[in-house]
Parts: sequence; structure tokens; C-alpha cells
Amino acid sequence: MRDTSPRLAAITLAFAGLAQAATAQAQVVPTFVDETANAGIDSVYAGEWQYMVGGGVATFDCSGDGFLDMLLAGGEAPAKFYLNQSTQGGALKFAEVTSGLELDAVTGAYPLDIDSDGIEDVVLLRVGESVAMRGLGACRFERANEAWGFNGGDAWWTAFAATWERGATWPTLALGSYIDRSQEIEPWGSCTDNWLERPRADGKGFDAPVPLRPSYCALSMLFTDWNRSGTPGLRIANDREYYRGGQEQLWRLDAGQPPALYTDKDGWKNLRIWGMGIASADVTGDGYPDYFVTSMADNKLQTLASATPDSPLKADYKDIAFPRGVIAQRPYTGGDVRPSTAWHAQFEDVNNDGLMDLFIAKGNVDQMPDFAANDPNNLLLQSTDGKFTEVGEAAGIASMGVSRGAEVTDFNLDGLLDLVVVHRRQAAQLWRNTTPDPRHWIELRLQQPGVNRDAIGAAVEVRIGSTVTRREITLGGGHVSGQIGWWHFGLGDAAAVDIRVTWPDGTAGEWLPLAAGSFYVLERDRAARVWLPG
Amino acid sequence: MKKLAAVLLGATAFLSVGAAYAAELVVGVSWNNFQEERWKTDEAAMKAVLDAAGVKYISTDAQSSATKQLTDIENLISQGANALIVLAQDTDAIQPAVQKAVDEGIPVIGYDRLIENPQAFYITFDNKEVGRLQAQAVVKVVPKGNYVIIKGNSADPNADFLRSGMEEIIGDAVKSGDIKIVGESYTDNWDPANAQKEMEQFLTKNNNDVQAVLSENDGMAGGVVAALTAQGLAGQVPVSGQDGDHAALNRVALGTQTVSVWKDARELGKQAAAVAIALANGTALDKVEGAVMFDGGPKKVPMNSVFLAPVPITADNLNVVIDAGWITKEEVCQGVPAGKVAVCG
Repeated sequence: MRDTSPRLAAITLAFAGLAQAATAQAQVVPTFVDETANAGIDSVYAGEWQYMVGGGVATFDCSGDGFLDMLLAGGEAPAKFYLNQSTQGGALKFAEVTSGLELDAVTGAYPLDIDSDGIEDVVLLRVGESVAMRGLGACRFERANEAWGFNGGDAWWTAFAATWERGATWPTLALGSYIDRSQEIEPWGSCTDNWLERPRADGKGFDAPVPLRPSYCALSMLFTDWNRSGTPGLRIANDREYYRGGQEQLWRLDAGQPPALYTDKDGWKNLRIWGMGIASADVTGDGYPDYFVTSMADNKLQTLASATPDSPLKADYKDIAFPRGVIAQRPYTGGDVRPSTAWHAQFEDVNNDGLMDLFIAKGNVDQMPDFAANDPNNLLLQSTDGKFTEVGEAAGIASMGVSRGAEVTDFNLDGLLDLVVVHRRQAAQLWRNTTPDPRHWIELRLQQPGVNRDAIGAAVEVRIGSTVTRREITLGGGHVSGQIGWWHFGLGDAAAVDIRVTWPDGTAGEWLPLAAGSFYVLERDRAARVWLPG
Repeated sequence: MKKLAAVLLGATAFLSVGAAYAAELVVGVSWNNFQEERWKTDEAAMKAVLDAAGVKYISTDAQSSATKQLTDIENLISQGANALIVLAQDTDAIQPAVQKAVDEGIPVIGYDRLIENPQAFYITFDNKEVGRLQAQAVVKVVPKGNYVIIKGNSADPNADFLRSGMEEIIGDAVKSGDIKIVGESYTDNWDPANAQKEMEQFLTKNNNDVQAVLSENDGMAGGVVAALTAQGLAGQVPVSGQDGDHAALNRVALGTQTVSVWKDARELGKQAAAVAIALANGTALDKVEGAVMFDGGPKKVPMNSVFLAPVPITADNLNVVIDAGWITKEEVCQGVPAGKVAVCG
């Protein structure tokens, strides 16, 4: 990693007058090329019943070169770690190396710096005991459950999220579990406890887990400051196939208080779906995060029913998936007329036009007869009118693999987001984004001293002209897949932007004028640093 | 009454048909996913009845989207539907649209899938009767002995309807000890592979001492027969099923499955159209011919319903499904030795 002096001189006030990105221009359909084989990726998420869900991927930089390395869950087989050997803008290249993360029974994984030592750690969700792996540097990891007081339990672990509660020196982890796996013949109603692992009072490691009851077979969790109160809640997507009397959940987590569910009194509506994955972004521009929740057949895009700032916000969400064109309820190609089964979802701007697009991984649970067997993954491009259009086939990512977890991220640091998808019983796939003539972009890494080095819970605002978009920095969600690395923003025609970070403690930084086409390290209370790969 | 005016205008074209009161009517059908081949049969049967009565047929296809189906129903209403037939994608999510229709005085018929609304009508095959017919056919062959019961998905109310029908037939024999249930389980997703696994476990647990299997559908019966085959028991242990799956009807001819209870979609379509016409003409829900009260849904909502009788298909009446054009003789008789089953020759 190499820092250079700021290039802020390039920025002038003239940029403030730039028209909004992506106005009235034809949409650029991105192109992706499958480079799985040439990149050296060869990993299968294997296993029978206990691996019908799960199949995650974690991307993070443990080698210190800025390129994101990757851990792929293997199910029954050991997980595989791949060191990123790509060059900037070049073909994707990985080498399988031994990292210490190669445990079996891994369903998914999330990277985060638990002990705030500046080195990413990894939580491995497993069938059985989940394991917190401490990063030692140079992509070596060791088990730290005992050292940190992390209780990995004994369950079918299928969801994870992390936050740093106000004033805490240690993170709070949420672990979601699925069915009681001893109940293979009659699993209904056997959902096991989700856990909240909070810091110990002395600030050294984790306290005993608190069960989040009732638990309804969680397949995705996300700490998110849904009402911008400064205290994130915990959104949980639950699988209605197996719970009894359950619904989607949002927990209130006030510091020092036991967790409490939002209820109909708070405006929270009973919603029963086959919740599998959560993606979040402010799609509506109301300043609050919206949530895309994957399911079977219809998917949901939830936005606050009323976001008037002068009255207390209610946790009342309406579904706008249908009018926005992201319902994505059945295959758009391949001829299978049965409804889809959706898993990982992620909002990112894949064509750098300044608008968040949406990737959805799809695949049958196994051989469910009422659902599509040939279920292509989706890539939905957002237009300036806020509607989304399916381009999965044209973009080249319409895989019929039985997909589960995924990450949309920039593996070769060219400003274009690439894609990795994990499949059940089939080899994972890796695509490089090769969109010609890409528009402007910027990538940011947040850093703060002390605890929570990666500033999870911060918000990044991007101002182009008079338009400000806000992105919450979260750790969790998707389907058992997570990333820490560069936060990517497409900028459309804007060659420069203003960026403001609101740090996790609520302190807003200055607006920083930054030129497009670069990587920046934004460290709290310090000037922005341009970062160059190599 | 803007809507009525629109209907009358649209209806003038039909006046020459004769029955003026019928010509004014429109029946709207909301399919959940019309691209599925199976519903084409139902639609043809509905259309035949509606055409004969001079009633206009309009339809929408929700393309498997519960959300789209809500707007579909609104569209059918705004197009002047006087009665709705609804095949629901999601029986919970459909509620607001159904309520809106009945609030506007438009009768709604839940077709094949229960929509629990006391002001709606429900028409389907009698699932309890399916369970009875399955048990009857098996008990006829093996009135006494060790029984295994393979049920469908626990979350699907039909699994319990079927089971309660079986109980009516075998209940007394179970009490008297003539029939002993040596294994009973729900089956995740009605998945044949899961059913096979369950059957393997029950056979192991009972040292293969199983004389009969009540399987709630044909797919799972296939899994059961596979498990029996592995133990050399296929054809010796009677097995039930339902749906008239082609593979199952072949098994019935081969003798490895005893019965497949068949639901004739043409009957369902015909009856639904007839009920829709009656309701559109102002017939009260409880005055529909054959209507009975039903409150066996998950929420126990009392509903006026019509239940059609399914047909048990055994080796003795395989001609019924062949004559109906449901399956060819070749498919039924594949691999069946000559002289074994009458219909196969």
C-alpha cells in the first residue's frame, strides 16, 4: 500500500455546478466475463440437508496490498482461502493458500476487526460451533473463541451482523441460527435461538450470549440505523418455511438495555416471507436506508411509509418492489415458468452511472417442485426515474447455477465492480466487470483510531451538484456473505465530488472535495489521502 | 354506477346471443401463474361453460407474483367483472384484494386454494375425501397389519385434511389394534427424496415388518416405492398416492402402487364457472347448489364451499384417465407384462 499527497487541487468550485449524474443518457449495460477457471478459483459448497442454506463468501484484504482476498465456504468440505494476485485493471488472478481459515462445516463468513488491532479478523459461521478467527497479519489466522470469550455455540448458524454500541470498546455481534438440525424429519417449528454477544463490562472480550427470543430461523441479519437515531437496530430476515407464528423482525438495542422487539405499536407490520437475504441502500432518496429482502417468488423493497422529519419516525415500512421493478419473482430467461428462490442481494453501482443497481443470487433450495430449477441470477440496473431493468443476460451473469452467497466488489481495483457467486454442490463462479468506457467512480476506505477501526456504522454522503446520496456503512446482511474493503461509488459524468463522513459516534466530518478515478483513505480528523495500488 | 354503465355498453354486443341477463355478465379469473401447463385445462373447461351461458371471460396472469395479483384483481374489477375466480399465489397476501372485491359487492371464489374470507366462496376437490379414498383402497388389500403414514409438508393444511380423511377409515381399526401405525411423519416440501429417507428409516426401525403405506401424494409414493424396492418389498406392500402423476399411474399398472386418487381439472373448471355465474346473478353464497359450510382452514374461518369428488384410480379403472386424455395408454402400460392389467391387454 502506498499513500501519496492529496490531489485536492484538482477540485474547483466549478464542479458544484455540474448537472446530476446520469441525466437523460442511455443506460450503459455493463459487461462481465467469467474468469473463474483462469483466475484459479475452484471451490464447491458441498453437503446435504444441513447445507441447503448457507454458501457464503467473505472478501477482505489480509495481505496489505489493497486487493481483496477471499474466503469461500465449502460446506461439508473445508473452506478455501484465495490470495488476490490480480494487477490493477488486469485479469482476475487468485492463488489458493493456507490461512488457518480452512475449517469444515462453514456455512458463511464475515470479516471484521474484532479486537481493533488494525488487522481484519473473520467470523466463520458453521454447522456446529461458529469460530472467531483472529487475523495475525500476512493472511494467517488463529482461533480466538477462548481468548475473546466468544461463544460459538452448537447450532446451524446462518446469519451474522456486527456493530459497535455507543461507547463500547468491543463490538456487539448478532448470530442467527436456523432449524434444530436434530429434527431432520420434522423440522417445522424447531427454530433455535439467535444470539447477541455483547462486550463484557470490563471491555475485554464478550459476555455470555443473550438469546434473542423469539427466534424464527434467521437467514440474514443487519445492524442498521433505520431511523438515524444514532443507535442501530437489528433487522432480521426469517424463513417462514420453518417457523410457527413468526414474522420479519426489527430489534431495538439501546445501550445497556436488553434487546426489545419493535411491534405493531411502533408501526412494525407483520410480514411473513421466506426471508433469505438483506441488502440496504437509500434507493428512494428520503435520507433513510431502504431494505431489499429476498424471498421465494416476490422479493420485497421496503421503505419508510412516512419519513417526515418533524414527527417521530414509525417503524412502518411499505413495499415498493413492484412499482420499482425489483420484484424479480421468476426467471427472466431459460424458460422455467415457476417462481424463483432468491438468496444474497446487494446494492452497488455496476455501471458507474451514479445510481445503485441490484444483484440477486438465485437458486432452488434443492429440488422443490413448485419452484424454478433453472433460476438465473439477476442484475437490475437503476434508471434516473428510480425504476430497475433486468440486464442479467446482456451483462453475462445470468448463471443457472444453484446460487447462494455472493459479493459484488472490485477485485482488480479498476473502479469497476466484479462479482463472485457461491453455488450449492457446484463450483463457485467469478466474473470480471469489463464494461467499456466506464464513467467516473471513486473508492473509499474509512479509518478511525482506537476501536472500530473500519468505522462500521458510519455514513458516507456523496454530493454531486445539489444531489446528496447517503450510504450507511454496515457489516452483516446479504446471505452469509460479507466484505470489508473499498466502498465504491459510481459518479456518472461527475469528474469530482464532495464527500462527507459521519463517523459512528455521530460526529460529522467536513465536506471533502475529491477528484474521481482514485482510491482514497479517509481517516478521521485527517486530510484525505490518495491511495495507489502496487 | 359508472361501472355498471360500462358493463352494459360492453354487453350490447352479446344481446344477439339470446339470454339477455346472462349476456350482461363478466366473469374475471385471476390466475397465479398461467404459464404452468396444468391451468390451460381448467381454463378451457371454464370457458366452455361461460360461452354456453353467454358470459364474457376475462383473465389476468399474476406470473407467480402475489403483489402483481393484487393489481390484477383491481384490474378485473375495473374491467367490470361481476364475479371473480381467484387462484391465489399467496393465500395471505391476497386478502386485501379479496376484501375490496366483496366490499364492492363482487363475489369471489377461491379456486383450488383456500382464501379464508367469510364473504368469499371456496371450490376445490375434497381433500378429506382424497384421504378416505387412499385409505379405503389400501385397507381393502390389507385390512390388518403394520401401517406407515407419509404425510406432506407440515405447513400445508392439505397434509392434515388428507390425514383426517384417512383417520375416518382406519380409526376404528387402529383402536381395536387391527392396524398398528409403526411410523408416521410429515415430509419437508413434499419432497420424494425426503419421503424415501423416511420410509428407509421406518423399514429399518421395524425390521421391514410393514404391511401397508399411506402416502399422501404420488411424488412421495415414488420415494416410498424406491425404499421398498431396495428391500425387495415393492409390489408386496400396498402404497397410496394422489394427483394422477404419469409415473404413478404406470406404477399402478405395474402393481407397485395401489391407488392414485385423481382430480379431474375439467370438473373443477366447469363447476367454478357455474358457481361464478350463479353468484354473479345474485345467488346468495349459501344458496349455491351443493354448498356446504367449511371451517377447516388454518384460521377456522367459516366459508361456503363446494367440494368435488375425486376419483380413485386403481389397476381396475385405469381406462378412466386414458379415456379422459390425461395420459396415453402407452405411458400407463410401459413395462407391464401382457395379460396382467386389463387396460394394457
